[in-house]
Amino acid sequence: MFDVPLNKLVPEYIKKFEAYIPSRPDPELMRLYKVDHLWRLNNNENPLGPPEGSARVIAEFPPKRASIYPSGDSWYLRVKLAEKFDLDPDQIVFGNGANEAIAFVIKAFCQEGDNIITADKTFAVYEWVAAFSGFEARLVPLKDFGFDDEGMLGRIDERTKILFVCNPNNPTGTYWDEARLRRFLDRVAGRQIVVVDEAYCEFVEADDYPDAMKLLKEYPNLVTFRTFSKMYGLAGLRIGYLAGSRDVVDVIRRTCIVYSVNGLAQEAALAAIGDDDHVVRTRRHVNAEKAYLLEELANLGVETHAGEGCYVMARLPVSDTLVYRQLMAKGVMIRTMTGFRFPNWIRVSIGVHEAMEDFVRGLGETLSDREATL
Amino acid sequence: MQDRKADIVLSVGTDMKFLPLVLSFTESSSRIFGLEDRDALKLTLASEEMFAYLCGMTGEARPVTLTMKNGFYYALLRFAFDNIDFDPRAFNLTANVSPDEEGLGEMGLLIASRSVDRMSIFHDPLEGTGIYLIKEKTYPEVEPWKSEEAPDGEGLSYGPPDVEDLKMFVRSIAGRYDPFVYPQDLRYPGKVVDMVASGEYGVLTATDRKGRMAGGMTWRSTGTSTIECYGPYVFVEKGRQDVGEGLVAALISTVARSEAICLMNRYPTAELPPGYFEKLGTIDFVLKGERRPWDFLFRELKEDPGCRVYAHAGMEDFLKTRYKRHFLAREIVPVKYEGERQNPHSVFGARFQHSQNLVVLSPLWDGADARENLARHIEVLKAEGIANILFRIDLGHGWHARLYPVIEANGFVPSIVIPYQGKADWLFFTLRD
Ligand SMILES: Cc1ncc(COP(=O)(O)O)c(C=O)c1O
Repeated sequence: MFDVPLNKLVPEYIKKFEAYIPSRPDPELMRLYKVDHLWRLNNNENPLGPPEGSARVIAEFPPKRASIYPSGDSWYLRVKLAEKFDLDPDQIVFGNGANEAIAFVIKAFCQEGDNIITADKTFAVYEWVAAFSGFEARLVPLKDFGFDDEGMLGRIDERTKILFVCNPNNPTGTYWDEARLRRFLDRVAGRQIVVVDEAYCEFVEADDYPDAMKLLKEYPNLVTFRTFSKMYGLAGLRIGYLAGSRDVVDVIRRTCIVYSVNGLAQEAALAAIGDDDHVVRTRRHVNAEKAYLLEELANLGVETHAGEGCYVMARLPVSDTLVYRQLMAKGVMIRTMTGFRFPNWIRVSIGVHEAMEDFVRGLGETLSDREATL
Repeated sequence: MQDRKADIVLSVGTDMKFLPLVLSFTESSSRIFGLEDRDALKLTLASEEMFAYLCGMTGEARPVTLTMKNGFYYALLRFAFDNIDFDPRAFNLTANVSPDEEGLGEMGLLIASRSVDRMSIFHDPLEGTGIYLIKEKTYPEVEPWKSEEAPDGEGLSYGPPDVEDLKMFVRSIAGRYDPFVYPQDLRYPGKVVDMVASGEYGVLTATDRKGRMAGGMTWRSTGTSTIECYGPYVFVEKGRQDVGEGLVAALISTVARSEAICLMNRYPTAELPPGYFEKLGTIDFVLKGERRPWDFLFRELKEDPGCRVYAHAGMEDFLKTRYKRHFLAREIVPVKYEGERQNPHSVFGARFQHSQNLVVLSPLWDGADARENLARHIEVLKAEGIANILFRIDLGHGWHARLYPVIEANGFVPSIVIPYQGKADWLFFTLRD
């Protein structure tokens, strides 16, 4: 057998990089943690599932269709969304989740020596993809839990290619209002690409929350991300997209992988577009459960932080990674926030009411049993 | 970051006719990397011992690669074989010695270990098999410093210090803390500067509004899965937990997205805030003739995915208790030796850390003579004056766990489990008194 000379084959920046280890499948976790159920409160999934129309498409998907290649560029979806947002279909590119769109944009604009700018405490994938590809990720500390526009502008240099703004921010739920986003875009003045990740935009009800789709006409360097994973409950099918000006999107399309979005995902997403009922029901659910959760956490004496989005942050008097293990043993999976650079905080996704109750009860028990800690 | 291109490499056969080449290679490259005469000479001496020893052990000449690495505060000399097509017993500390002939002191590996600061025997698919020797540079000792007026610790910001602040940080630690709560490396400001430059160590300080240093923490990565940190060291008035907490939170945030899964704190201070670390256990170390309990504090940086570990019946109760105490989800798979054919000879790795008078032994090859071989290792190390001998196994390897009766028969008891250090958790054994 040959010895693979990995030491020589692997570039230095890959050696330094750590592979993302997704959590094990639920049945594996349940077996290891010896529980007979598991509430998934770690990935901001929609507890109500997909909209009815999508559910029907999925249930009725003809197995034979699985043998046919899908549209390579999500044609019908782009046409329908273009109509909805008053864009040209060519202003839209689909990906295998918005995560893939992040990689498309970075690949399209960055070369050796370039950098991207984002916040230190935000969705990790911007930073990961940049680092993984050998580019510098400049991280600007959050200010009062929100993206710091001045701080980001101050870090721009001639090698800066992209600024990533998560609006509303995962995990803090803060957002820039329209005036602030416009000010930021005016200051960048088209010199760099500005990505506004709107993965959670459908959860925001505030009037001053900007719709990046509407700003595309004025700011040709603006790119926005959307996903069907959150509000539309299709996370398991992996489908998301980006939109921007024709010229910019024409460049991004060169790096994108055709056929990366499967046919079932495309059809289910198509059926989800425009289901306002689903959005209203989800919002109602999230608002009610968020209020319940915040009240119960306050009763436990736990500091919380919550804004927009279907998640709540809580600061614990013990290690978040320890509490993760303790809650797993009670059938509740939350997100530890050490990886978000919020040590000893956890993020809890809004789930069904029973899950919220189990979480609150489990956390209460955990906090009163702190023997193992220092 | 350390420049990997700076490695200097020599490939030769294990034949004594190459000895002069090996010696001049070691001597000139260690000088190039900044070792002073005395230190360069010691490393050269060690390389001579090592090379002569390997020539003796391999019989006919085998290709061996010597790599000199610049660690900034040390030079590392590695002897590596791509594949071992000779008797691996050579890599035992105790090899080639019969106590009644030459005496315990005449073993090549042992002699080599004496003139360096660290030595380790390795065997791994990426690195190959071999031995590395580390000789550290000599630096002037710290002049302790304590400011007249302590900073008030208001409006703190955290970040890496520049070189002068880094030295001031080191001097302030010496001025305010008992030497047992910081690693000995921190007694040498110049060394700390080089340690940070090497990329192996990190330092973070807290600065108040007026630019005065209110404290700091240091850390280093030990392998890919663990970061070890020290402190927090706080220079404001006593009783200011908030500065300690700010430092710990800033440190964790700095390393949170690194490769590491665990953060250990080997030198906690009174300013360590509660709630950030879990206590894995305590090991009694003998340092400078004094017995000192050493707490092992840890926290995970990632969500624990659970894993499978192998355990011999003799250590199962210990593991179950520990896993329960720390809420670690582990599937314990029982293993034991059941008369199957074995290689005749075992090999144990030894990692010397002279500053702590410490040797960590670990299994490298399984073999029928493991029990006697381990006994001889302990005998040799005790004769060498090593006061702290630990034995470490990786619970992800069934054959490690199967060695339990051998380990136990040599007077070791299970002591501490550290999650995810290798293929699975590491289990450390200490010698029964
Ligand atoms: C802010 C943000 N952007 C993008 C994504 C990725 O979404 P997708 O599932 O479409 O890849 C997520 C998912 O967690 C997110 O939180």
